[in-house]
Amino acid sequence: MISQVFILSSKGDHLIYKDYRGEAGSDVINIFYEKVTALTGDQPPVVMSHKDLHFIHVRQEGLYWVATTTAADSSPFTIIEFLNRLTALVKDYCGSLSEKSVQMNFALIYELLDEIVDYGYIQTTSSDVLKNFIQTEAVSARPFSLFDLSNVGLFGAETQQSKVAPSSAATRPIQSSREGGKSEIFVDVIERMSVVIGSNGVLMKADVEGEIRVKCYMPSCSEMRIGLNEEFSIGKSQLRGYGAAVRVDECSFHQAVRLDEFDSHRILRLCPSQGEQTVMQYQLSDDLPSAPPFRLFPTIERDTGGRLLMYLKLRCDLPPKSAAINVCATIPVPKGSVSLSQELSSPDQSAELKLQSRAVHWMIPRFPGGTQLSALFKLEVPGLSSASMLEVGPVGLSFELPKLTVTGLQIRFLRLSPIQPGPSQRWVRYVTHSDSYTIRI
Amino acid sequence: MTDSKYFTTTKKGEIFELKAELNSDKKEKKKEAVKKVIASMTVGKDVSALFPDVVNCMQTDNLELKKLVYLYLMNYAKSQPDMAIMAVNTFVKDCEDPNPLIRALAVRTMGCIRVDKITEYLCEPLRKCLKDEDPYVRKTAAVCVAKLHDINAQLVEDQGFLDTLKDLISDSNPMVVANAVAALSEIAESHPNSNLLDLNPQTINKLLTALNECTEWGQIFILDCLANYTPRDDRESQSICERVTPRLSHANSAVVLSAVKVLMKFMEMLPKDLDYYGTLLKKLAPPLVTLLSAEPELQYVALRNINLIVQRRPEILKHEMKVFFVKYNDPIYVKLEKLDIMIRLASQANIAQVLAELKEYATEVDVDFVRKAVRAIGRCAIKVEQSAERCVSTLLDLIQTKVNYVVQEAIVVIKDIFRKYPNKYESVIATLCENLDSLDEPEARAAMIWIVGEYAERIDNADELLESFLEGFHDESTQVQLQLLTAIVKLFLKKPTETQELVQQVLSLATQDSDNPDLRDRGYIYWRLLSTDPVAAKEVVLAEKPLISEETDLIEPTLLEELICHIGTLASVYHKPPSAFVEGSRGVQHKRLPGSAGSGESADSPDTGSAAGVSEAPPAVIPSQGDLLGDLLNLDLTPPTTSGPPPAPSSGMQMGAMDLLGGGLDSLMGDESEPPPVPQRTDTPQSPQLSHQSPSPPDYSPTELGGDLGGSPAMGAGFGAPPTAMPASFPPPVSGGLDDLFDLGGSVGMPMGAYSPPKSIWLPAMKAKGLEISGTFARRAGVIQMEMTLTNKAMSIMTDFAIQFNRNSFGLAPAGPLQVLTPVGPNQSIEVALPLSTVGPVMKMEPLTNLQVAVKNNIDVFYFSSQYPISMLFVEDGKMERQVFLATWKDIPNDNEAQFQIKDCHLNSDAASSKLQGSNVFTIAKRTVEGQDMLYQSMKLTNGIWVLAELRVQAGNPNYTVSLKCRAPEVSQCVFQSYEAMLKN
Repeated sequence: MISQVFILSSKGDHLIYKDYRGEAGSDVINIFYEKVTALTGDQPPVVMSHKDLHFIHVRQEGLYWVATTTAADSSPFTIIEFLNRLTALVKDYCGSLSEKSVQMNFALIYELLDEIVDYGYIQTTSSDVLKNFIQTEAVSARPFSLFDLSNVGLFGAETQQSKVAPSSAATRPIQSSREGGKSEIFVDVIERMSVVIGSNGVLMKADVEGEIRVKCYMPSCSEMRIGLNEEFSIGKSQLRGYGAAVRVDECSFHQAVRLDEFDSHRILRLCPSQGEQTVMQYQLSDDLPSAPPFRLFPTIERDTGGRLLMYLKLRCDLPPKSAAINVCATIPVPKGSVSLSQELSSPDQSAELKLQSRAVHWMIPRFPGGTQLSALFKLEVPGLSSASMLEVGPVGLSFELPKLTVTGLQIRFLRLSPIQPGPSQRWVRYVTHSDSYTIRI
Repeated sequence: MTDSKYFTTTKKGEIFELKAELNSDKKEKKKEAVKKVIASMTVGKDVSALFPDVVNCMQTDNLELKKLVYLYLMNYAKSQPDMAIMAVNTFVKDCEDPNPLIRALAVRTMGCIRVDKITEYLCEPLRKCLKDEDPYVRKTAAVCVAKLHDINAQLVEDQGFLDTLKDLISDSNPMVVANAVAALSEIAESHPNSNLLDLNPQTINKLLTALNECTEWGQIFILDCLANYTPRDDRESQSICERVTPRLSHANSAVVLSAVKVLMKFMEMLPKDLDYYGTLLKKLAPPLVTLLSAEPELQYVALRNINLIVQRRPEILKHEMKVFFVKYNDPIYVKLEKLDIMIRLASQANIAQVLAELKEYATEVDVDFVRKAVRAIGRCAIKVEQSAERCVSTLLDLIQTKVNYVVQEAIVVIKDIFRKYPNKYESVIATLCENLDSLDEPEARAAMIWIVGEYAERIDNADELLESFLEGFHDESTQVQLQLLTAIVKLFLKKPTETQELVQQVLSLATQDSDNPDLRDRGYIYWRLLSTDPVAAKEVVLAEKPLISEETDLIEPTLLEELICHIGTLASVYHKPPSAFVEGSRGVQHKRLPGSAGSGESADSPDTGSAAGVSEAPPAVIPSQGDLLGDLLNLDLTPPTTSGPPPAPSSGMQMGAMDLLGGGLDSLMGDESEPPPVPQRTDTPQSPQLSHQSPSPPDYSPTELGGDLGGSPAMGAGFGAPPTAMPASFPPPVSGGLDDLFDLGGSVGMPMGAYSPPKSIWLPAMKAKGLEISGTFARRAGVIQMEMTLTNKAMSIMTDFAIQFNRNSFGLAPAGPLQVLTPVGPNQSIEVALPLSTVGPVMKMEPLTNLQVAVKNNIDVFYFSSQYPISMLFVEDGKMERQVFLATWKDIPNDNEAQFQIKDCHLNSDAASSKLQGSNVFTIAKRTVEGQDMLYQSMKLTNGIWVLAELRVQAGNPNYTVSLKCRAPEVSQCVFQSYEAMLKN
């Protein structure tokens, strides 16, 4: 049961405050802010209590989204999940999530809060249901601009090879489609991989978590059919098709997804609600279909001048046509390291020593598949001992692999039926992120 | 034009301007004005002055404007109750509006206006809306009943809304069902016995049907409600489980966790050999693993819950170790939680993998995490015996890194490993000693000192090492000082000749120069022990210490059971029962798991189960005592990192026994001429004895002390000049100890019809150097007796028997000395009856009727514990007047009532009554209803607690039902057990 919901800016300004049960006053907002800013790093911030009141919050886009409850049997899980949905809804309705957009759309957000929770009971968070009730129009935080091409997010559609749409196309309020906005549908296949490679180069652990996300700007939603690879299989035993199977261990679906054609043809059928939703989530553990994307060959020694030498060769084992971008390797170095000199194999790379985190960051903006880069780092460490050599490593890598899924999951087709009247566009994007990619030394 | 301008108007005449705008004719302008008002309200400005003007805007057909006005009303109605009445007419009118959105909006808002005067106008519209044709209105009205109930419960009952609400459970729309269930659950919480939400197989079936159709949030309400139901048998339980399992693959993790809760609870009822049980276990693992791929916040909550699940059913996740390996970018609080679960899952099969991981973690950057990882290695060693050697060598590797905090942490855990595997890994001591200088944290220093003291005989320069610590004695923390004192005393006992000076030095430092009462106390205890009886001192200080076991870090089982019932709730995140963090009024009910099929209590309904007080404040009993005992036996080193309440019940017993040693040792040793100097400390470290410094002259003189030392002249010299402060701080004689023994003569009464259990073996000969004690308790002619058979299974003669009890729940104490007049020869047995009084010191025990006993003979002191039947404490004048009985029965709250089943009892009610009467259970009245005999009975305990009982006997049915009511519901369980024993005997 939710007692209050409030949204605070990162500076503690009250943006939204809604009391559902009259159990506590609005003075608790400041108590929350004091508590949350006083937390130290190792204290779990998720659930905090003040007298009888329990605060549960998530942070999104720099804002604190807080719910309070007084009942002992309330489930923090439900509340966190609810807050996440709330942020998604606000994002859907306001187009983007920021202090400004929340401030500008307060009337809309109050209206949403009134409909999705009644007396602390969550009623619905489905934008399909909500669109019947919501009256207020969203106010866009910024006009749509083509200059706003943020980092990589280009939607490249399988079906329309030549066209790309800027990523900000998917960040407008859903309701503006009422006034003849384009009817578009965006599908994201996003995978996150976490990998541990042992010091002997053996793959110790490899997990992939993936999801298919649909963002829909169709005013009247018709049925959508998403076709996955036919040889997609779930679980260890089942194998489909002749070629290399696309395999995952576990799979869960949004409750609106109908699976009657899934078993036979790997087709997901759903009537997408307006806004964003995750239609399918899946996991794969310990069994990557291909080699892990990166391997590292380190040599670490002490030179005659008492400096620490790290010679690192990093190999990218992606298919030659693909490339990783925004690669950053973080190499922990011994305590007391003072300065760094480096020799890098190409000019676009860079490296620096971050004293605060005691690590060298090696940045590679673009790293094509099948190539190898090397770097030589010389570290000045006064009083370097053999014990402090042990403090080097493990290396953490972060990267993005655009247009690629490590599981091999593809979307064969995206059909809307009945055929939409007027122009409608469908976009598909694939991306794999590193969640945690660790190479031990 | 954007809304943000609303926040920027801060001019003086603002309210005035707004007022004008609100009264404008143009709709758009009005709407803008109301928006501005609400914006000011959000940032905390007081705009209540505009109340009448805003209410005037209420009558509009513009839904957007109406919603804004209602939002304002909800906020300010409470502060302007009189003006709120102005709005009532519009509300009532809106409830009749053809547009269902407006009807629902009106009913929702009215419920949120918490003004008494309005509620009476609310009833009629609400009644209509509850039967509205539109489900959106009905579901809003259902919640409104709960709102109204919170404002005026009586009104809701009088108006019959509760029945309408109950009908809504069968509504065709699942959203209405879900809201009705939620509202009823909440109302039912404030009326624990109202049976509002009557869960029976039919309603459960309806709920399960609605489960498939309603929204994810509705599913959560329904699942949480299901979790409170107790199925009748394992078949029903299985069928519910089957229908709930599909929820495990839901995308909303809150649904998943609620489903897990239901399954974990109902699984208790399934027989373990059932195929389905295995299937279910397998099905539970993947969703739990999936929870770990969520955002860190959800992950943390999931991990806290998994931590509980793993302790209850480790088999579910035993193959999933890898998912708990930490990722480098996990937040630290997630990392620590994962580490804890890894250790709980560690077993012989996966220990190599776990150790390799932990070793990696120990070289990471984050200091807190590294420390926890090093501790984790130690916990692995203690948990998985086969891995101990590997763990130790891993720790040694880590010590070689010389990273300061790693070394210190490693030493702390190695100390624990020594405690678990004594005499096995002492070869590493040399390596540890090399690092002595680098230790700067108190805990590590204390651990190292403990190791040196414990193994003083194997470390050649132990005295030098300890002496080096002694130099800065006063700068050390208390922990280190205490440890140093103990270690040096141990050293002295092991190598008396070379270390006299050292021990003298430390004793005088501790007793004379310190102002810490703990340290002084301990110093005096050792001094006194050493001076009185060095042999005894050796036995005490160098006694065998209880082994550390892996269980020390588990959550106490009854608490765990309760927490499992609260999976997914706040309790599962705090790892505390709800009663620990919610104050009184609402929602605090102890829950417990249903018994498994076929066990004695499985027939209990959940209500009686929760009232039985079984899980009443579970972890409260032992800890305070633990500290005290630890002090004496120098066990105060902290146990390996724990997350729950530390002591397991088994260790509690052991510790209790130690306490006896503390309280009565000197008496047992026959030192009657002097009062025991060992303070009988209660729970706080600063024992009250210090303030006891009595006006009476001190009992000791310096010469006496010297004389006592006669036995070992070598030491005598060392104690010649005791500090002057010492005599004054000795307490006056401790009462309640041996004095009691002589108060009463041991008269043995004639046996009566009272129930007495057969004798059982309390102390096996194996554990007591050949002395076997079997015994029972009986109440004979109003005197409680402990009847024992002492058997000498050793080769030598046993003499000089004496007995003492630890403090216990009902203050039982020996009423006289143990009468063993003749020595007991080998293979000889002797029967003894020891009369007991109930005026001894009281301390609540777990279980309640547990009694810890120390028996001494010429060979040694032995400890055992036994449980007495509570019927022994029923006094002869336990017959209550009928009227008093009636009044008392009504007076005791229903929460205190506990109901039990007694199975297979073939007595008729009269026979049962007379049988019980023999044990002082008095039947006050008997009533026969439809062939069922109801006996109303009372009994009174020695400490004046009355227990009232209703015994239902159905002719021809061997199962009795007994309902117990008592102001101290903790005793109910014991009384029930006695009932069963008395009737079946």
